[in-house]
This record gives sequence, structure tokens and C-alpha cells, in this order.
Amino acid sequence: MKKIFCILLLFLLLQGQLGATGRGLTLLKDKPAAPDFNLKDVDGNSYRFSDLKGRVVIVNFWATWCPPCRAEMPSMQRAWEQLREEGIMMLAVDVGEDEDAIFEFTASYPVEFPILLDTESSVSEAWEVRGLPTTFVVDQWGRKVYRAVGGREWDAPELLKKIRELKEVP
Amino acid sequence: MSKEPLNKLCLSCLAGLLIFPGTAVMAEITVEVGKNTGLKTWKWTHEGVSLRLVQRLPDQTRAYVMAKGFPRDAADELATSCFFGSMFRNDGNLPLDFDLRQWKVVHNGRETGMKVRELWKQKFRERKDIPAPARIGLNWSLMPTVQHFEPGDYNWGMTVYGLPPGETFDLHLKVMLDGKPLETVIPGLQCAPEVVEKPAS
Repeated sequence: MKKIFCILLLFLLLQGQLGATGRGLTLLKDKPAAPDFNLKDVDGNSYRFSDLKGRVVIVNFWATWCPPCRAEMPSMQRAWEQLREEGIMMLAVDVGEDEDAIFEFTASYPVEFPILLDTESSVSEAWEVRGLPTTFVVDQWGRKVYRAVGGREWDAPELLKKIRELKEVP
Repeated sequence: MSKEPLNKLCLSCLAGLLIFPGTAVMAEITVEVGKNTGLKTWKWTHEGVSLRLVQRLPDQTRAYVMAKGFPRDAADELATSCFFGSMFRNDGNLPLDFDLRQWKVVHNGRETGMKVRELWKQKFRERKDIPAPARIGLNWSLMPTVQHFEPGDYNWGMTVYGLPPGETFDLHLKVMLDGKPLETVIPGLQCAPEVVEKPAS
């Protein structure tokens, strides 16, 4: 009995150490349409979401002050390095901050995918984001297919497989 | 929420059967004290679902919101409203829903609700001296009021209990696990005092 209690305790402690990563992607059965937006990136370039129709798009909502958001950025960059050649798009939508906050962040966490500014958080609300980070994977028809609430290891093979499979859907 | 070493693992944890109408809950609650900070962490777990609540010093909250642009008076009000750093995870196998407006703070026999996002939003809406980015930043820093977690999902965010520094209270929480209500009590939570005595090394 004592042994079982110790194993249980060890399991709980290990869970605590793994606190900044979640697992899996949730399939959104009704595949709701992803609301369109037009946001600027940190260099002032405009991105209209509907222009990306025909491509699988990963849309990550985050903020620089959010620890799990920061924790998943390196894995997003590694995933991006694999996926960009395959025509899959990745956008990180910063919620409620300005360019200065992003520049400070990217000095320590350099990433190459576009970072867009949702300064008034209206896009985040339209996409029904409740907590950060939240990530959606959108299919070629502009439908939200997968959702992840909390950070993930985005270059994990099982996640990449699910994202790539969306490209194969005729 | 820091991952600092812990100098005390309180095994007087409540591992009990808490009975509520229609619901029997095996609640596991642990209390830990940070070795470097002296701040306490409470952790409730049930079938892979966990909620960690870490004391936040009033000065931590004050500095955080002032850095976001809150003026001193609003920062003082927030700082002395009992903030906890909170990590809510669903590492189990069932979907989970929660609504913080259903949770109760019981302090000296009096029952109140938590200070959720919408209350602060309403409170600061008319304040012209609080810049919009500060209000938006605070809003998103707080735990979502209503959330749905599939297995593997989680959120970090601050939760607020509306009590002065150092006060002790019980938190009556309720979640829906696979559509079924699950209720429990985390007893003896304590708002961080203005100053925490660091444990002797």
C-alpha cells in the first residue's frame, strides 16, 4: 500500500514538472468557419486570412508575457522549418501587445513565421479564444479542424502527421 | 509560476472522500512551500485533472499591472485583492468544463464569488487613465471564466478571490467532467501576505 502511494506521489510530481506542455489536437467535429481577419505583422505587412484559402494554416494565439506561449515557440519554429516547404502556413497572432513587446521577445526567441498584431484582441474574440495559448489548424476550405488549448510540442511526429494529413484530403 | 525547489511536501494532504449531494469525490490536495520564496502552492487532483494555486505577493501583482500601464491606485486595488497564479490542466481522459462564476469563496462563514475577468473589465471600462492595452493585458492574464478542456488541454492564468492580504478561506469549486458535476473544497487557502517570511535554509 505504501509502495503504491509512493508511486502515485512520484507520478503527480512528474506531472508537475511537465506542466508547460499539453498533448494532442482536438478534432472540431462541426468544423466551424474560421472568421476572416486583416492584421499587420511587426513589419507593417498586411495579412488577410481569406487570401490563404487553399492552404492548411496553423493559427496560434499568444502573448509574450504568457509562459506556456513562450515555451512552445521553439517547437513551433522547428515545425515551421519542416512545414513551410510543404505549403503549410503558420501564423502567430499576438494578443493585445505592440511591436516593441514583440521585438524584445524575438531577440531572445527568434522565429521566422509571421507574427501578427491583434492589439485590440477583436480577432482573438471572434475566433472564440478564451485562454492563451490557443492554436487552431485550419483546412484548405477555411474551416477550423483542430484546436489545442495550452502549449504543445509542435514538432512532435504525431502532431505533424495530423497536420500533413489535412493536405491530403481531396 | 516558478518551478523552484520545495522544502516541504505537506503529507497532511487531504486525501479524503468528500461527499456532496449526488457526487462522491476522491480529492487529493497537497500543500507545498517554495524553498526560496516561502510562497505556498495548493494542488488539487482528481482523475488526471489538476488545479495548482500559487500565492502571489501583492508586490508581484502591483509591479505586473503597473508595468502594463495601470495607475498606482488601480494597481493597489488589484494587488490587495488576493491573486493566485493558477494552472488548470486536464491530463485525464474525459472532457472538462468549468465556470468560475459557480465557484464560491468562503471566508469567516461568508460566501462570495471570485473576481473574474468580466468584473474587472466592467470596473475599469470607464477609467480614461487606464490605457486599453493595460486593460486588455489584464483581461488575458486572468484565467478564462468559462472554459472547455479536451484531454491534453490546459490554461495558466491568475485567479482572484477579493480578500485582503494574509486572509484564509475555503474554495468550493465545481467542474463538469464528461458532463457530470464534480464538486470539492480546497480548505485553508491563504492570500499571500504583504511580506512572506522565507524559510530558514
